[in-house]
Amino acid sequence: MEELAIETSQLTKKFGDFTAVNALDLKVRKGEVYGLLGPNGAGKTTVIKVLCGLLKMNGGSAKMLGTPAPSKSIAGRIGYMPQETALYVGLTVRQNLEFFGSIFGLGKAKVEARISELLKVIDLEVWAKTLVNNLSGGMKHRVSLACALMSEPEILFLDEPTVGVDPELRASFWQYFQNLRSQGITILITTHYMDEARHCDRIGFMRNGKLIAEGSPTHLLESTRTTSLEDAFLEVVKEVGP
Amino acid sequence: MNFRRVLAVTKRVFLDLKNDKRTLALLTLAPIFSMTLFGLAFSGEVKDVQVIVVNLDEGATIPLIGDVVFANAVVHNLDTEVLAITTSANLSVSITELENGNAWAVIYFPENYTSEAILAALPLINTTSYLDIYIDTSNINVAESITREVNEAIISAAEENGQQMPVTVRATPIYGSNVEFMDFFVPGIMCFVVYFLTTLLTLITFVGERVSGTLHRVLATPLTEAEIVAGYAITFSVVGTLQATILLSYGILAFDVDIAGEIWLAFLVIVVLAIVSQALGILGSALAKREAQAVQLVPFIVMPGFLLSGVFWPLEAIPVWLRPASLFVPPTYAIDACRSVMLRGWGLDMVWHDVVALLIFAAVFLALASWSLRRRQ
Repeated sequence: MEELAIETSQLTKKFGDFTAVNALDLKVRKGEVYGLLGPNGAGKTTVIKVLCGLLKMNGGSAKMLGTPAPSKSIAGRIGYMPQETALYVGLTVRQNLEFFGSIFGLGKAKVEARISELLKVIDLEVWAKTLVNNLSGGMKHRVSLACALMSEPEILFLDEPTVGVDPELRASFWQYFQNLRSQGITILITTHYMDEARHCDRIGFMRNGKLIAEGSPTHLLESTRTTSLEDAFLEVVKEVGP
Repeated sequence: MNFRRVLAVTKRVFLDLKNDKRTLALLTLAPIFSMTLFGLAFSGEVKDVQVIVVNLDEGATIPLIGDVVFANAVVHNLDTEVLAITTSANLSVSITELENGNAWAVIYFPENYTSEAILAALPLINTTSYLDIYIDTSNINVAESITREVNEAIISAAEENGQQMPVTVRATPIYGSNVEFMDFFVPGIMCFVVYFLTTLLTLITFVGERVSGTLHRVLATPLTEAEIVAGYAITFSVVGTLQATILLSYGILAFDVDIAGEIWLAFLVIVVLAIVSQALGILGSALAKREAQAVQLVPFIVMPGFLLSGVFWPLEAIPVWLRPASLFVPPTYAIDACRSVMLRGWGLDMVWHDVVALLIFAAVFLALASWSLRRRQ
């Protein structure tokens, strides 16, 4: 059996009467890029927040890297890039990275090494000493990604990392995600840009808190006899009904 | 100017308010809260001031009139609303009580109070009768009220007796012999500023952390809630100490403020107060979803600290029934401790109860603050 990086069983999250995640069984293999796809309000972000321990689950259970999750004991092995940029805007790019390095308990030398490595990756070396507040939206996104990567996580949660990102940068992000995968990092990514999800190894279509279809992009296209993931999604919705 | 467009703006702003129930509630509650507190705390004059009367006057016999004890008439005329009087027959024990902070003044009538007064009233005899007030002038408002009340009682007593008695009131300050308003004011304002600015700064910063998403982001790392609170506490205790240093240096240089005691103790108190205040700020941030809502919490932070802690007027000026409320306002303890250290020269042996109270506040607020962060939807 393949090793699972993330495994949820009947995971349920309610906000009052509203069920955001409904008895979700999600299995993400180690080292794959898994895309959660679905319209706004499908429950994608909620799944990530529950797994990161930011929301309490109302039912079911979850495991990450073989350990019951969420738990502070595996928080050090996880990277989380939230939907909002969530950076300290009064700090410089470098200071933000330093902070995230130190809360993961990295030593000084390690922090330095990671910073120079990541600044190259996000191509912001000349901006290192600039206050985040003075950066453009796209640049902030790149810094946010770098912060999530500071600790060399084994699992990376990317919540809509490409919203509001220009096409060029989006392409370079996906290029970088592929690099991370080749290093054996598991990535769970949410997006409602259906077309860019073709870069994922596997995709889960989410709607009303449930997984309505799952498979590789090719598999999903073939089984629905469509040519775009957007059409595939609509086809699946038609099959399962409202 | 197009009136329709103006009305559109007006309507939009009204709708904004209507949809923000929290702001709406605060907009109505805050003024009521402020006004109530102002009204209650301001309307009270100084009342219920603890004083000890040591009346040893043996009186005298006046031909045709009989036995008289003038001191009794004075004591009888003391306003018991303003002064909460206990009596004692022992001057030195009473002065010790005063030194320990259990009373604001000792009013002492010597054995020969009446006889000297009678002698002094006679022509050609050059003497005077003395009434001694041993007084703690570290709180000028209180001290002034006591002196005023005693003088008024002497006048009333004389009117009752139908004659002027030459009595000299001698005031001996036990504490704060040279206290002026600024000396009294600086310890108070130091504590108030640290309390207010620290609470406000943490509140705004923390609402920012919540709004921008950084709080969620760091909570998804190994960083724990208690570590966040502790990190903030260290920052703000340093900032609080710096503020206190600036205020104190300025007070000494510009207003020639006297410091009777060991100043490190005042700083210690301020550091603990800063820790209490930042925890209060974090707690408050849980009540605000946006920076604008945080600002509306300000009256609820400022008013009690301003009116109930004794910054500007003594706790004795707060109506008796409202006084217990000041026990729940952390600056009350800090101001009391700082004044005692700076004006009375007291050490830790005397202000320890204030320090302990602040430490309890710190422990409770820190625990509550990290609990408020640990709560999950």
